[in-house]
Amino acid sequence: MRVLRWLPGRLLSALVVLVGASILIFVAIRSLPGDFSQIVLGPLSSDAAKEQLRQTLGLGKSLPEQYALWLGNAMHGDFGLSLASQRPVLDEILARLPVTAMLAVIAMIVTVLVGVPLGIFAGTHASTGRRSVVTRIVSTIGISLPEFVIGSIVVFLFSRFDLGLSVGGFVSPAQDFGAGTVSLLLPAFVLSVFCVAATARTTRDSVMGVLVEPHIAAAVARGESPWFIVRHHVLRNALIPVLTLTATITAYLLGGAVIVEQVFNVSGLGSYLVLALSRRDYTVIQACVLLATAVFVVASLLVDVLTGVIDPRVSVAKKGRRA
Amino acid sequence: MRKSLTIGAAVATVALLLTACSSNDKDVSSGTGEASPGFLSVADTSLPTGGTLHADLDYDTVEANGLDPRFATTPRSWTIEGLSYQTLVAVDQKFGFKPELATSWDIVSPTQYVFHLRKDAVFSNGRPMTADDVKGSIELLQESKSSWALQLGPISSVVVNAPDQVTINLSAPYTALLGALANTPAAIVPAAEVRAGTVDLAKQMVGTGPYVALSHVQDESWTFEKNPHYYDAKKVGPDKLDIKIVPDEASRLAAIRDGSVQYAFFNNADTLDLLAGTKEVKAVNQQNTDFYYLILNSTDPSSPLHDEKVRFAVNAAIDRAQLSDLTLAGHGKATGVTPVGLPGSCSPSQLPSAKLSKDDITKLLKDAGASNIHLSLVTWNVESAPGKIAQVIQQQLRPYGITVDIKVVDTATYTAAFYGGDKTASADLGISWYAGYGDAAMVSRWWNTEQATFTSRFMTESKSLNDLVVQANEEPVGASRDAVLTKLCAEVDRTAEQVPLMTRPGVIAFRTDKLSATINSTEGYGDLFRYVTDFRLTGSK
Repeated sequence: MRVLRWLPGRLLSALVVLVGASILIFVAIRSLPGDFSQIVLGPLSSDAAKEQLRQTLGLGKSLPEQYALWLGNAMHGDFGLSLASQRPVLDEILARLPVTAMLAVIAMIVTVLVGVPLGIFAGTHASTGRRSVVTRIVSTIGISLPEFVIGSIVVFLFSRFDLGLSVGGFVSPAQDFGAGTVSLLLPAFVLSVFCVAATARTTRDSVMGVLVEPHIAAAVARGESPWFIVRHHVLRNALIPVLTLTATITAYLLGGAVIVEQVFNVSGLGSYLVLALSRRDYTVIQACVLLATAVFVVASLLVDVLTGVIDPRVSVAKKGRRA
Repeated sequence: MRKSLTIGAAVATVALLLTACSSNDKDVSSGTGEASPGFLSVADTSLPTGGTLHADLDYDTVEANGLDPRFATTPRSWTIEGLSYQTLVAVDQKFGFKPELATSWDIVSPTQYVFHLRKDAVFSNGRPMTADDVKGSIELLQESKSSWALQLGPISSVVVNAPDQVTINLSAPYTALLGALANTPAAIVPAAEVRAGTVDLAKQMVGTGPYVALSHVQDESWTFEKNPHYYDAKKVGPDKLDIKIVPDEASRLAAIRDGSVQYAFFNNADTLDLLAGTKEVKAVNQQNTDFYYLILNSTDPSSPLHDEKVRFAVNAAIDRAQLSDLTLAGHGKATGVTPVGLPGSCSPSQLPSAKLSKDDITKLLKDAGASNIHLSLVTWNVESAPGKIAQVIQQQLRPYGITVDIKVVDTATYTAAFYGGDKTASADLGISWYAGYGDAAMVSRWWNTEQATFTSRFMTESKSLNDLVVQANEEPVGASRDAVLTKLCAEVDRTAEQVPLMTRPGVIAFRTDKLSATINSTEGYGDLFRYVTDFRLTGSK
């Protein structure tokens, strides 16, 4: 019930964020040099042909008019036609969204299943010298190495040597779910490296912070087993910062997916957006950025709700701000 | 400590062993030698037909008018659409012309060509091709006013003489007519249906070619199947073509290495070395008549490049051999405006700029009062070569007191810089490439500012150059044409506003355990599937 007090305010600010992002990207991409008519007609075409195409595509109208038209249609779920393919942008996004979503979900599962236990282990064995050093080195490398470096190494190793997984043949899960999922394993692994490292480090720090609390000392004095202490006294308190990290990781996964999809030739939203940017396919860019913003906003909202559920001490003052 | 050292040594040993093992899997794959005259590889056509060819291409066709061949402006559009369409004539491996939809032709005079047509060509919609389709297709191309309509030349009329014969009349001699008719934009289409509106060429490919498009996902894939109406359908190798669009070169490299695809194209000349030693992969360096060129913007009165002496000096300072060695692994060939290798093309070593010494260049710049000049150079990032070319040119110009600031930008930004709305280009230098086509004079049209108005932002109008371009395209094949082409090369070299640098080779790789392929040594229209009907799939399909 406490959540319901601040939720309307948060939803309103989310809407403001979405509209603001749409205006920002609308203006930003039209400020870039070159436009779609120049790209698609090429340099050998006449100025008259380019202008005619611009008029046909509605690019000759004033910017406020173009934005108002686009926003009005977008609110009805019509994001216009891709300038390149002349197909509805929504259809093309829906065709690619499951691929990027699967990539992100697999990466997130790996992050949670590997990063959290790793962090708990590191946090509870922090005093044991060598293990602590190794864990810190591994997490530092994982956080520091960019995805395109890890991805390039993975692509080289798995194409050069027969290591059981293929990198050259992406299969859409829509065509073949099993083969498609397998073809996403390596890209998801690459995407998850940073997330695992960051999650492990955050969990470790959080666990170490909880372990020095007086109630932990009391639990130890009562003779509770280490596993019982971790399960009942440490985890719940240590996971709050990790949950907050999840919202950040969501944004990272969206951005990192762009690079990973390029390296592994995955036909997801990331590669779609990169191509649209190079072509100045305005309708596609606007729709993809709006979608990414919406995903991030929703993820942040969910994290806030879950935080309130996990830790009842988190309370909300009047006017929608948390105490 | 001892345990850590032991583990480290073990890891290093395993890594070394893996590397050693991989380098022992030998099948020599590097290919610059010819399998037979004009061909880098020749398919064994005695093998059975059938199967699906899996291929990777670098980019898809994206044209303002969809799949309409008349408006196809890029080599990939020509490649993909050329699977379904055919032209009257085609180029052969020596850049002569061979029959396609025309079984033969007579050059009655420099302004009259008579074509004798196949009687068994059928469109993929089941309708036989007629002489009216040839007449209609050429007229449709002229009406389109596309860039290829310009290349088609001064056709005044197309006359149907008989059900299997047409005459093309020209208002002036045009030697490059056959070269223009040999490319996909001049494809023969079902003209009556197009005029009636029952066939929309922007959305459907209805041609007489060997394949029919089954599906197309923009920027992802194409699937073709054999056209049952094709007159030589029984001789066509693969039943199906599964073409994936893979922009990333490393991904294409991975796919050909692990066997996900049987045939792939690469822009990076280093791919030959990268694939050397890869088991069951053959990589060949296919030369092109395409060539890289340097724009020297002469239209800005405040720029040092406004002075022809300065431009000529910059041109002369560029060492093409070194440029090729450092950027294209030595596979690019110096060229003049007539692409090297085409009949009648001029010799780059005979160009005026090739005869200048370093002292001559320095004196030229001094006489022009151009010392310690700064120039901006813009090129695009879709391929790696232009950026490398820019860097080498920067180093080559430095000893002459010319400082070059390089910007590598995306295609849209590059296009805006040189072909955008302003009256003059916004950079001093630019690097790009032109397709060289199949006739020595065709590409020179882009040096005629009256015809190619898009060059007005960086080229100053020159009547002598414009006239030479016209003359080169009109002069009939022979010694007099060769003399005109030599003069044209020299004039382009001297005015130095678009300076040809070197040819743009490509690497084609295929799996020798799965595919027997025919690949021509030199390509003029970027058609990577020119001989796909000869391909034979072997082993697992």
